[in-house]
Amino acid sequence: MKIAFLSESPADEAVLRILVEGALKEKPTVASAGYRARGWPNVLQVLPAVIRHLHFNTDVDTLVVTGDSDDSPVHTTAHDAPQYYHPHCRMCQLRAVFRQTGKRFPAAHGRLRVRRVVGVAVPALEAWLLCGVEDSVNEAAWTEGQARGILPYTRAELKLRVYRTERPSLPHEIACAVREAERHRRDLRRLEYDFPGFAALLRDLREPIPEIS
Amino acid sequence: MHVFGVIASVAFRNFKALRNTSLRLSPFNLVIGANGSGKTSLIQALQQLRALAKLPLGDPAAVTRVGGSEITFVFDAPHLGVTARLGCVDDVVCDLLRVDPVNAAEWEEVKVELATMRSYVFDHAAMAVPASRDSGQRLAGDGSNLAAVLARWQRETPAAFDRLQAELTRWLPEFTGIVLPEDAGGVVRLGLKIGDAEGPVMADNLSQGVFYVLGILVLSFDPAPPAVVCIEEIDRGIHPRMLREVRDALYRLSYPAAMGETRAPVQVIATTHSPYLLDLFREHPEEIVITQKHGHEAHFERLADRADLAELLRDGSLGDMWFSGILGGVPEES
Repeated sequence: MKIAFLSESPADEAVLRILVEGALKEKPTVASAGYRARGWPNVLQVLPAVIRHLHFNTDVDTLVVTGDSDDSPVHTTAHDAPQYYHPHCRMCQLRAVFRQTGKRFPAAHGRLRVRRVVGVAVPALEAWLLCGVEDSVNEAAWTEGQARGILPYTRAELKLRVYRTERPSLPHEIACAVREAERHRRDLRRLEYDFPGFAALLRDLREPIPEIS
Repeated sequence: MHVFGVIASVAFRNFKALRNTSLRLSPFNLVIGANGSGKTSLIQALQQLRALAKLPLGDPAAVTRVGGSEITFVFDAPHLGVTARLGCVDDVVCDLLRVDPVNAAEWEEVKVELATMRSYVFDHAAMAVPASRDSGQRLAGDGSNLAAVLARWQRETPAAFDRLQAELTRWLPEFTGIVLPEDAGGVVRLGLKIGDAEGPVMADNLSQGVFYVLGILVLSFDPAPPAVVCIEEIDRGIHPRMLREVRDALYRLSYPAAMGETRAPVQVIATTHSPYLLDLFREHPEEIVITQKHGHEAHFERLADRADLAELLRDGSLGDMWFSGILGGVPEES
């Protein structure tokens, strides 16, 4: 398995690598180039080009993409219905890009297409990092807060709780993020349960790589 | 915790394109806007204040001029309420300074801080030139004594030198260290060690961006930094993926506690034309100042003062919105 990551920051990528390794129970080969987007909606903007590049120019078979949900609608099981697409749900948007970009590609490098692995952190990756440390931080609490119009926490508060400062340096941010991700590595069940946006990523990762029949 | 800057606000009347505008200053300020919209004028005003503050105060009654350009500075805690008003003959020369209230002891304290103020427009060609060992007390405005400053740090403040060197090799991992050979005449040259190569790469063969990185790191790790630092085109010559490091280096100045530093904060006023750098301030829009130019007149706006900011941030990146013109601060079209 050869994996590429597309994330919003080097800290996000460091976390994803650990979580994916934890899920696979092994260290996958990672594409040497670190693909990166400058936050949302740039993830969505660069994703088609990254998929195209990986498909035709590399032997990467899996692309892991994550984004923060920020204030957008949270993905629900209702969105998973066939033919359903929520225009403002970021999970739906990312999946749609994979679907549309790859549908006319011919097979290349021994696989039908690059496997899609998509997760959305609600409302931001820092919530995943606080999972198991702060019981009140989970996707259901955020979704319920959105419905009531009273959010349980802000993204800035989550970042402050993880990094202990509003303005972390990049090395400090990575060190804190890696420390929390390592906590999850051996047992991802709590993260999977509390954050369906991460559970979706794991489900994608368990799907077989689309091979030429 | 609230962090104070040295200068709380500055107001302009008839100074260049800044006909009638004011600006609250934060500990950190990133100024964006079209060319010729007043970004540099803001920095020039601070330079004028620094120059005049060195002089003894005159009789308040004698330093009032009717008409002409005027720039008013209000200082932050612990000198809250102190104002300094510059009167200018023209766009270049300000020759009058009036301080209110006239409290000699307090003004002396402000003067000490203003005297340390520095402005930088790095010039990679000047930074590559060898420098006299004795010229390295403070980095020159164009960075031309870079080699001498680094050599002095290596001699006198080796801990600061080591931190800078470690950060340089983190930013630019192809390099493994700094070399500063000095000739018999006391002239210091700058070079960087590279991997397993036998000899260092000397300054005349280093890329422009390396000099700009070194200049930023010298400011960021200065063991005795100025109270106020102005830096023009902070992103120049630097790869967009390294702009996060640039932002962090500037935050190290303005918010030292956030970076584990124990020294006093440095007020930073930086300018940029990079949408990518702007993107990094999505969570701190209060630090962004937009210069808006209409015809021959320009004024300042704080991004955080926009009522629709939350909606704008939902729809896209700050950099893209700036480029699109939604935020203003773009060149006028004929």
